[in-house]
Amino acid sequence: MTGRFAPARWPRPLRSARVLVGGGIVLSVLLCAIFAPLIAPYDPNAQDLLNTLLPPAWMEGGNPDFLLGTDNLGQDTLSRLIYGARVAMVVAIVAALGAMLLGTTLALVAGYFGGVVDWLISRAVDLWMSFPPVVLSLILIVGFGVGLSNVILAIVLVDWTRFCRVVRSEVLVVRRYDYIDAARLAGFSHLRTLMREVLPAVAPLIITLVSLEMAIALIVEAILSFVGMSVEANIPAWGVMIADARKYMYQTVWGLVLPILAIVVTVIGFNLLGDGLRRTLDPKLLQRETVAA
Amino acid sequence: MGSEILGVVLRRILVAIPLMLVVSVLVFVVLRLIPADPVSMAVPPNATAEEVEAVRREMGLHLPIAQQYVIWLGQVVQGDFGRSIAFGQPVLKLIGQSLPATIELAALAAILATVIGLVGGLVMFRLRGGPGEGPADLSSILIMSVPEFLWALFLILLFGVAFNLLPFAGRLGPGQSAPAITGFLLLDCILTGRFGTLASALEHMILPAVALALGTAPLIMRVLRSSLLEVIHEDYIVMARLRGVPERRVITRHAFKNAFLPTLTLMGVQFGFLFGGTLLVEVIYSYPGLGNMMVEAVRNTDLPIIQGAALIYALAVMSINLAVDIAYILLNPKLRASQ
Repeated sequence: MTGRFAPARWPRPLRSARVLVGGGIVLSVLLCAIFAPLIAPYDPNAQDLLNTLLPPAWMEGGNPDFLLGTDNLGQDTLSRLIYGARVAMVVAIVAALGAMLLGTTLALVAGYFGGVVDWLISRAVDLWMSFPPVVLSLILIVGFGVGLSNVILAIVLVDWTRFCRVVRSEVLVVRRYDYIDAARLAGFSHLRTLMREVLPAVAPLIITLVSLEMAIALIVEAILSFVGMSVEANIPAWGVMIADARKYMYQTVWGLVLPILAIVVTVIGFNLLGDGLRRTLDPKLLQRETVAA
Repeated sequence: MGSEILGVVLRRILVAIPLMLVVSVLVFVVLRLIPADPVSMAVPPNATAEEVEAVRREMGLHLPIAQQYVIWLGQVVQGDFGRSIAFGQPVLKLIGQSLPATIELAALAAILATVIGLVGGLVMFRLRGGPGEGPADLSSILIMSVPEFLWALFLILLFGVAFNLLPFAGRLGPGQSAPAITGFLLLDCILTGRFGTLASALEHMILPAVALALGTAPLIMRVLRSSLLEVIHEDYIVMARLRGVPERRVITRHAFKNAFLPTLTLMGVQFGFLFGGTLLVEVIYSYPGLGNMMVEAVRNTDLPIIQGAALIYALAVMSINLAVDIAYILLNPKLRASQ
C-alpha cells in the first residue's frame, strides 16, 4: 500500500496511500470543526418540535430541509455532527499532545538517566497499567467533575503511560549508541544531549504514537459523553448524540448510525495516518507495543 | 516447572500487595477531590443543615483525608467495603452479586477473541505475499478502529432491531428465573440441569461477548502474523521444510509454537483491557454486572461503590496478568527444557 501515489520527490510519508487517505479524513474533520458555524445549516441546539425524529432527506418521510434528519427534539443531525467534530478534535489533539508531552518527558528522563528515577517511573507505569483505562478515566472524571478541560486532563493522566512505556524502551536502545557518548564528550549538557541527540532519534516513534493516541482520546471522550460524564449538556458531542438516539432506535436508527459512523471514520483516519507513518518513518517499531483502546 | 510457577505466583503477590495499596490511596484521594457533595445524595432534599452535618459525621466525611483513608482501609482489610449511599446495602454484597456476571461475560469474550485472533492471524499469515494480503491487512485495521462499545451498538442495530434474531437486554428472557448456587449463572444452570435457562442466558451473552471479542481480536491477529513472519526464516523452519514436513504442519506445529509466546504476552494486556471494556458493553446491554453497577454509582456519586468496584477492577487486571504469566511458563519450551 506504499505505492507511488504522488511524485517521487515528495517526502516518503506523503507517498503512502495510508498517510494520504488517513490525513485527508483527519483534515476534513478538522476543517468541519474549525468552520462549523459557516458549514452547519442550523444552530446545533435549535429545536423544531414539529419535525422530530426525521430520517435523512433521501429516505421515505424525510424532509429536504434536514439533510440527515433530526433527533427527538427536532435538532438538525447534520449540524450536530458538524459541531460535534469540535469537541472530538479539541479533545483528540490537545489530549494526545498533553499525553505525549508528559509521557515522553518521563520516558526520556527514565531511559536516559536510569537508576532510581527509572525505577520510580517504571513502577508508576506498572501501577497505571493495572487499571483498565476506562475505569481510571471514569474515576478521574468523578473526582474532577465534568467539562471539556477536565476530560482532556483525565485522558492525559490516563494515557501518558502509552508514550512512556514505548518511548522509554527506545531511549534505552538509543542511549547506548556512540554518538550519544560523543555528544557528552564534546561537552554537551545532559539537557542538550537529550534534546538534540536522543529526542530526534525517537521522534518518528513519537509522531506515530501521537496519531494513534488521537484516535484513542477521541474514543474515550465518546465513551465519557455516552455515559453523560463529559462536556456540559448544551455542547453537542457525538457520544451524547449516540446516547440520546439509543432511546429512540425503534423509531429511527439513523440518529444512532450517523454519529457512530462519524466516530468510526475519524478513528480510521487517525489509525491509517498512524499506520502509514509507522511504515514510512520507521519499519521496525511498535508492532507489539502499540495497544488499541 | 511447579516450583517455577510457585515462584512467579509468590513474586506477583509480593508485588501486588504494595501496588494495591497505592491503587487504593490513588482512588481514595482522587474521589475526595469530588466537586459534588456525597452527603447530599444520602439525605432527603428538605434536610436541615444540622441533619446534613449529622450524616456527614456518621459517614466520617468530616475527618481529614488521611484519617478517613486509614479507617476505610482498616475496614476493607476485614472485608467491609462500607455501605452503598444510594442502596443502603453493603458494597461487598452488591459486588458479590454483580461480579460473577462480569467474569462470565469477560471469559466468554476472551475465549471468542482468542479463537478469532489465532485463526485470523494464521489466515493472514497464509495470505502473505499474495493478492489477499493488502485487503486482509487493511480490514484488520478497519475492524480494529471500531471500539467495542460501538460494536455493541452496531450489533444491537443489526441483530436486535433490524433482524430481531437475538435479545440484547439483561441476562435472561421474561419468565426465566436464575438458579442460585454459586452466583455464576451459566454454571448454576448446568449444575441444576436447567438447560432451557442456560440457552436463554447464552443467547443474551452472545452479542455483548462478540462485541468485546471484536474489539480485542484484530490486534491478536496482527501480532500473531508479525511474530510468525519473524520466526518463519529461522533455521529450524528451513530444516523442517527440508525434511519434507508439509507446509501446513510446519506452520501449525513448528512456527506457531514459537510465534505464540509474544502473542500470549500481548493477550495478557489485551484481556486486561477487555475486562475494562465490559464496563460500557454492560451498560449498553443492560447486563447486570460490575460495570453497570459502577456507572450507576458514578451517576449517583455513590463513593463506597465506586471505590470498591475500582479496587475489584485493578485486582482483576492483576489476576489476569498472573494467569498469563503462568500460561507463559507452561507453554515456553525453553523453560520446560531446563527441567
